[in-house]
Amino acid sequence: MKLIDEKSLYEIALELVKRSCTRIAPDAMALLKRAHSNERNLAAKKMLETMIKNAELAKETNKPLCQSPGYPVIYAKIGCATKMEANIPKIFQKAIIESTKKGYLRPSIVHPMTRKNPGDNSGRGVPDVEVELDPDIDYAEFIISFKGCGSEVANISKVLTPVQVGKDWIGIKKLVLESTIAAGGIPCPPTAIGIGIGGQMHYAAKLSRKAVSVREWTDINPDQELAKLENDLLVSVNSLGIGPAGIGGDTTALTVKVEMASTHTAICPVAINFHCWVARRSGVRIYSDGSVRFKEDMYEPKNEIIPCKGNPFSANHILFKHRRPRIH
Amino acid sequence: MSLTTPLKDKDVMDLEVGDVVYLNGTIYTGRDMAHIRIMECLREGKEPPVALKGAAIFHAGPVVKKKNEEWEIIVIGPTTSARMEPFSETLLGKFGVKAIIGKGGMGKSTQEALKKYHGVYLLSPPGCAVIQAKFVQKLSTVYWLDLGMPEAIWVIEVKNWGPLVVAIDSHGKSIFEEVKEKALRKMHEILTESGGLS
Repeated sequence: MKLIDEKSLYEIALELVKRSCTRIAPDAMALLKRAHSNERNLAAKKMLETMIKNAELAKETNKPLCQSPGYPVIYAKIGCATKMEANIPKIFQKAIIESTKKGYLRPSIVHPMTRKNPGDNSGRGVPDVEVELDPDIDYAEFIISFKGCGSEVANISKVLTPVQVGKDWIGIKKLVLESTIAAGGIPCPPTAIGIGIGGQMHYAAKLSRKAVSVREWTDINPDQELAKLENDLLVSVNSLGIGPAGIGGDTTALTVKVEMASTHTAICPVAINFHCWVARRSGVRIYSDGSVRFKEDMYEPKNEIIPCKGNPFSANHILFKHRRPRIH
Repeated sequence: MSLTTPLKDKDVMDLEVGDVVYLNGTIYTGRDMAHIRIMECLREGKEPPVALKGAAIFHAGPVVKKKNEEWEIIVIGPTTSARMEPFSETLLGKFGVKAIIGKGGMGKSTQEALKKYHGVYLLSPPGCAVIQAKFVQKLSTVYWLDLGMPEAIWVIEVKNWGPLVVAIDSHGKSIFEEVKEKALRKMHEILTESGGLS
């Protein structure tokens, strides 16, 4: 069992920040390209073309895709076998400050009330680090996600009563459609819409962010009921015709992701979280033998494309090929 | 269509929703904090540091780097214009701003101000900061840097900056309003079919 120390984690954190800011996740790129080929509105098609071109140019020139770095969240998943001597929040904060100096990130973190900007993206509680323990994995996983904040302005959460949920979850569907229309072009469509359902309000909100920050946008929800809901919502949202940048068109959302937790018998909290098309997400797995693999390098679009039934604008559903780590 | 700042009434009155514009000349960036401070200037009878008559204001905060005492642009792109909605009437009516450039669209009060004082809202492709930095000729100067890099007013020279799409024109038409009306009708249809609005 190899020890993960501060120095090696810092090097990895620097690489994660750089990758996530200068390129979009390959699954999101696959969906953008598919949306571009399906788009019937000419102005919208041009908009999608510009987005794809910008993403390619950013990768080539090692420049930030978008001027706004958004807000960073680190999703860490730690296995039982992991041996680590490292202060995770401190190391990622250091990597973010260093990347800001290098010009990969605009200094955009401020005091929420005084609006004072320390100038290096440091600040209380930044980045947000969410840690999960998983006894069944033999690696430590870190996913960094910089989500834009224009899209945050459009987010909503509501604690529904059982009556409001309604038959066939019509209350949830209505909330998603209403908030998508209210959001219009604000969250930089085509978006990924994360929906957290259940728990209490804070839990639903966390699930909604995690849904679009950790999952690949082309995956299929293993929960069949939720997979169906995701597909139904994607079809409905795209039929609204809000389009890229909000100028009208077939592509309003690239994907809808639903995460669920059980809740109390009196309530159904729902949180809706918009993610702009700029999928700045990068992940890494550090295995117990010390080998390091970046998640996007492991991403292999499956040749066989399974489009959702009756929905030409849905996700490609390119399945992520899970590679079982070698056990030593 | 190619336009050069400072803009005249006629320049913007010729434009209609859907037209594509390429901009030349000097533009100013301005986000929430710069707008708040411009309003303070007005209240206190002070002049803002930039000439706003005929100006084009870009809702944006660039990523810049200082090299040999000169500012250098890394990337620049639009921020959410809706946050600046409360300032449109004053910017156009009192200061004579002619073009607001951003992303995500703006609301009813901006639509009315653009019609009343002859102005235009231009949409710049969201999230496309590398491409848009290519049109920047020069970062001339910066004001109010104490507000932080994103919130300061950056004075920028642009050449053939575009395509920018006219999203709200000076005749009271807005792409966003049309898209929203259609979307609301569609939602009503979907929910009625599902039995949710009986």
